[in-house]
Amino acid sequence: MPRAVTPPADASSRPAGLEPGSFRDPESRVFYAGEEVFRALSPDGLSDFEALRGTGLLDDDRVVRTELVADGAAGGRAAREGLLVHEPAGVLRHERIPFVSYPYEWTFSMLKDAALVQLDLLLASLEHDLVLKDSTPYNVQFKGARPVFVDVGSFERIREGEPWVGYRQFCMLYLYPLLLQAVKDVPFHPWMRGSIDGITPRQMRNLLSFRDRFHRGMFTNVFLHARLEDRYADRPDQVKQEVRRVFKKELFVANVRKMRKLVERVSWDPPEGVWTAYGERNSYTDDDAARKDDFVRQVAATQPWNLVWDIGANNGRYSRIAAEGARTVVAVDADQGPMELLYRDLKQEANEQILTLTMNLADPSPGLGWRGLERKALPDRGKPDLVLALALVHHVAISANVPVREFVDWLSSLGSALVIEFPTREDPMVKKLLAPKRDGLHPDYELGYFERTLSEAFEIERSERLESGTRVLYFARPKRG
Amino acid sequence: MTTLLAYLDPGSGSMILQILAGGLAAVAVTAKLYWNRILRFLRIRKDEPEAVKAEPASGSE
Repeated sequence: MPRAVTPPADASSRPAGLEPGSFRDPESRVFYAGEEVFRALSPDGLSDFEALRGTGLLDDDRVVRTELVADGAAGGRAAREGLLVHEPAGVLRHERIPFVSYPYEWTFSMLKDAALVQLDLLLASLEHDLVLKDSTPYNVQFKGARPVFVDVGSFERIREGEPWVGYRQFCMLYLYPLLLQAVKDVPFHPWMRGSIDGITPRQMRNLLSFRDRFHRGMFTNVFLHARLEDRYADRPDQVKQEVRRVFKKELFVANVRKMRKLVERVSWDPPEGVWTAYGERNSYTDDDAARKDDFVRQVAATQPWNLVWDIGANNGRYSRIAAEGARTVVAVDADQGPMELLYRDLKQEANEQILTLTMNLADPSPGLGWRGLERKALPDRGKPDLVLALALVHHVAISANVPVREFVDWLSSLGSALVIEFPTREDPMVKKLLAPKRDGLHPDYELGYFERTLSEAFEIERSERLESGTRVLYFARPKRG
Repeated sequence: MTTLLAYLDPGSGSMILQILAGGLAAVAVTAKLYWNRILRFLRIRKDEPEAVKAEPASGSE
C-alpha cells in the first residue's frame, strides 16, 4: 500500500527517492524527486485512475490533491528504476503532507475520524461503481487536525459479485483498536505499534469477556467473525465462488453503512482529571506563565520556522504560540488525554497547522515493517528547525532515567534550534519526582551541569530565570561543525 | 479469467460474514436464535415461550 508521502531523510541507500513503505499494491508505487511526491501507475492502475477522475472525487477535500503528470521525465525515471513489474503507464503528482504520522501515534478521535473518512470515501466511491481496495489507516494522514486520504491508488473499479475486500482489514486496523479502547479502556497504541496488520478477529475475541458480546457491534464483527474465520479458513476457493454468486452491490453498501453507524457511536473520553487539568492550564495567569509565553513568542518571531516540534506539549499552549511564527507544529505528549482534548479543540477550529501525536519521548516510534523502513522513525520524517522542550527534561531525566547528557545529545542530533526549560532541584515538581527515589540519585540533574552540557552542543542565545526562581528558560542554536 | 480479488486477502470467514451480516433479516434471525438459546440455557425462558406467557411464574411456586 502506498502510504507515506514524505521522503526519508536518509533515502540515499535506496533507489533514488523510492518510498520504502509503498510496495504492497502492485498497481502503484510512490517515489520522490526533490521536494515532489509522485506515484507510478501500472496500466490497470491508470485505468482505475481515469475512472476515478471521471467521478469528481479527486476534488473532494478529504482526498490528497493529485494531478496526472503530463511531462515524461518523471515517468521515464519510474520506468528506468523498475518501480513496477510492468512498464508504468502513467505518473501522478501528489500534494505533500507536512508531517507523516501513524495510527499508533494518534489519539482515539484521530483514529475514529480517519475511519470515518475511509468509510465515507468508500460509500462515495460505490455510488460511481468504484471501491477502495484496502482499508488501512496508513492511507490516511493528518494536515493539522484534518484527516486526508493519501492513497489515490486505492480506488479501483468494482468487479461483479465483489464483497467488501477491505472489511477484515478495517476490523483489524480500525474497528478493533477503537473498540479495545472504548470498551476495555486499553489504549490501542502498543498493539498497533507492535503489529503492523493490527488485531486479528481471534485475538480480539479472546480479549473480550462473555458480557462484551452484547456490546453494540461486538457480536457480529468480533465473535461471529472469529468463529466463521476458524470454520472457513481451509476452504478459500469454495467460499470465493459461492460469495461471487450471491453477492450484490446493495449488500456491500448496506454493510459499509452499518459499519459507519457503529464507528460513529464508538466513544472514549480521557479520565476526569485530564479535563480539569486541561481547562486549568488554559487559563493560568501567574507571572511565570506570562513570562514563559513571552519567551516562546519572541523566539517564534525571530524567523519564519518551517517545522516546530513541541515535545511534552501537554495542553498545547506553547504549540499554539509557536504556530504564530511557524508553518507546521507537531505537538507530542506521552499522555494521550490532553492530546485528545487538544485535537478536539483544533478540529473544532478547523486548524490545519498543529498536528497532535501521543508518544513517549523516552521510547519514540522506531522504524517498523519490512526492513524496518515501511514506517519511519520519528526523526526520519523530516527534522524540525525548532524544538520546544518545556517542562520536559525532569520527566525524561528523573522518571525515565535518561542521563541529562544523553537527552541533550539527542536534541543536538536533530540539528535544530531549541527552547528548553530546566526546573531546578528546588522546583516542587522535581521534588515530587525525586521523592520516591534513593537519596543521591540523579547527581547529573543539576543546573550548573545542565548548562555546561547544553553549551557544549549549543550556542545559548538567551536565558531567563522565571520569577519563582526554580525554572530557567534557554533559547539555543546548534553549534556548527 | 481475472481474479475476483485484489492484492489483499479478504479472508474466507470475513466474506461469509458479510453475506450473513448484510442481509438484515439474516442478522435479526441469527441474533434472535442466539438470544433465545441463551435465555433457554439460563432457564429464563422455557422451550415454549407462549406457555410461559400464558401462565406467568405461577407454576414454580
